[in-house]
Amino acid sequence: MVNITIKNLTKKYGKTAAVKDLNLQIEDKEFFVFLGPSGCGKTTTLFAIAGLIKIDAGEIWIGDELVTSAEKGVHKPPQERGIAMVFQDYAIYPHMTVFDNIAFPLQISNTDKHEIEQRVKKTAELLGISQLLDRKPRQLSGGQRQRVALGRAMVRKPKVFLMDEPLANLDAKLRVQTRTELKKLQLDLGVTTIYVTHDQVEAMTMADRIMVQKDGVAEQIGTPDELYNHPLNLFVAGFIGSPEMNFIDCTLIEEKKELCLDAKEFKVFLPAKMSSELRSYIGAEVIMGIRPEDLYESKSAGRPMQENAFRITLDLIEPIGPYLLLHLKTGNIPLVATVKNTEAKAGQEVIMEIDPSKIHIFNKKTTKAII
Amino acid sequence: MERPLVNSLTFTLAATILSCLLGSINGYALTKIRFRGSNTMFLLFSIGIFLPYQAVLVPLVLTISKLGLYNTIGGLILVHTTYGITITTLLFRNFYGLIPDSLIMAAKTDGAGTWTIYRRIILPLSLLPFVVAAVLQFTSIWNDFLFGVTLARGSEAMPASVALANLKGTTEFNWNVQMAGALWYALPILIIYLLLGKYLIRGYMAGAIKG
Repeated sequence: MVNITIKNLTKKYGKTAAVKDLNLQIEDKEFFVFLGPSGCGKTTTLFAIAGLIKIDAGEIWIGDELVTSAEKGVHKPPQERGIAMVFQDYAIYPHMTVFDNIAFPLQISNTDKHEIEQRVKKTAELLGISQLLDRKPRQLSGGQRQRVALGRAMVRKPKVFLMDEPLANLDAKLRVQTRTELKKLQLDLGVTTIYVTHDQVEAMTMADRIMVQKDGVAEQIGTPDELYNHPLNLFVAGFIGSPEMNFIDCTLIEEKKELCLDAKEFKVFLPAKMSSELRSYIGAEVIMGIRPEDLYESKSAGRPMQENAFRITLDLIEPIGPYLLLHLKTGNIPLVATVKNTEAKAGQEVIMEIDPSKIHIFNKKTTKAII
Repeated sequence: MERPLVNSLTFTLAATILSCLLGSINGYALTKIRFRGSNTMFLLFSIGIFLPYQAVLVPLVLTISKLGLYNTIGGLILVHTTYGITITTLLFRNFYGLIPDSLIMAAKTDGAGTWTIYRRIILPLSLLPFVVAAVLQFTSIWNDFLFGVTLARGSEAMPASVALANLKGTTEFNWNVQMAGALWYALPILIIYLLLGKYLIRGYMAGAIKG
């Protein structure tokens, strides 16, 4: 059982806190992702778990072992934590062959020569780099170097993998391929893994659970599905998903005994089941969030307008391949929608419909989600 | 001329090796180990580079004779090593600044201690700065006259530079003897540059072009 518990972790650089009072529980064998824009404290958190930096407050437990405690003055060195790390620039030793690179942690711990050779060869085989063992790092491609870094981490049979944006330096195609392989590898090895990235697609595809961080604070912790469908605040809603969620300033009003979001240019009537939570917000300014795939082109053109449908100018069409990206604008409200196909041309007016059950509503003052 | 040449060769080699090694360790400590006052320390080292020889001459002679190292090869090694550390530290610090910190962090998580990291990671990557620092140090120590003439006047430790000057009589000039001496004196530097010249150029270029 290798779960990781973080209690009240705080790390300051000078006066600014890189991580503020973080509490986190990572389960055994879990693939856990720290996600956030650069400078949000995700790498700092990772380094704190690795023991590469000292923290100002809080505790870190790996399994049932206390590895860091600012209050009790405990700080185990990285090598005694049973962790292995993969760095963004791979950090493979340039003067050593691939074999020596992978063998390095074993050599340091004075492992028997015969065993080193066996374990290095086995690891290399697993990663498909057996034929490269005699090469020097500069003779390797980016993807191969990445595997060497991974091999060096795996060979020690660590309790926890820590990965700091390991795919960031690969080209787009290789990144997607390696992403899948990495996830498979983690499932096969069954090792608890913490993975740091700023790429929400990577996070969504690989993670069992994700923590979204911003300015050193955990904005939301949850499964990819929870984060996508039930974001707790504006930041998470905007950060997860590509293209980004549309945000529209609205006023919540009551019309014909139904709750309705008034965006000036159009209105959206809300389903009755939402109304109980929203009653107290009537008359308040709120922000409506709607994902691009929950905006449809209305098929009722020509006939009387449906509820929740409105006229809007189509500015631009971007064909992505499997779908089209429609850039729309009405008044000063820009909207993005993804549709399968359209007969409209750029510059024309189209009728769009919003699926009211897919709407997110955020409190404008606190930026927290109401629904 | 034979004894002074051997003297010069001995203390120049020893002081070169020592100052390079210590400079390398300093450079490693200043770039890769975070400690309080490291910047102040580096500033002091940098100031040391600009300290003129003449300014420290009197206290230097006093200190060396107190230590009982006046007129010995050991004394010259100590003086030249101390003076050389400043510039070698600067050189190695700048070079080690180019080695990514993640390499050190990786080695730490792999279980290597401070000295193991130095020995297994830093040192093998330092061929270039070692060559540059060694050539620089060898040349400047070999060419030094002032320390030699003040600290080692007797024949047991007299450097070649001083001996060469002594070949010149007060009244007559034996040009042939002087020239022969000068040639012998120039030879080691010539050999060093012939052997290490290409590394030196590469060292000067390091960092100028993205590797």
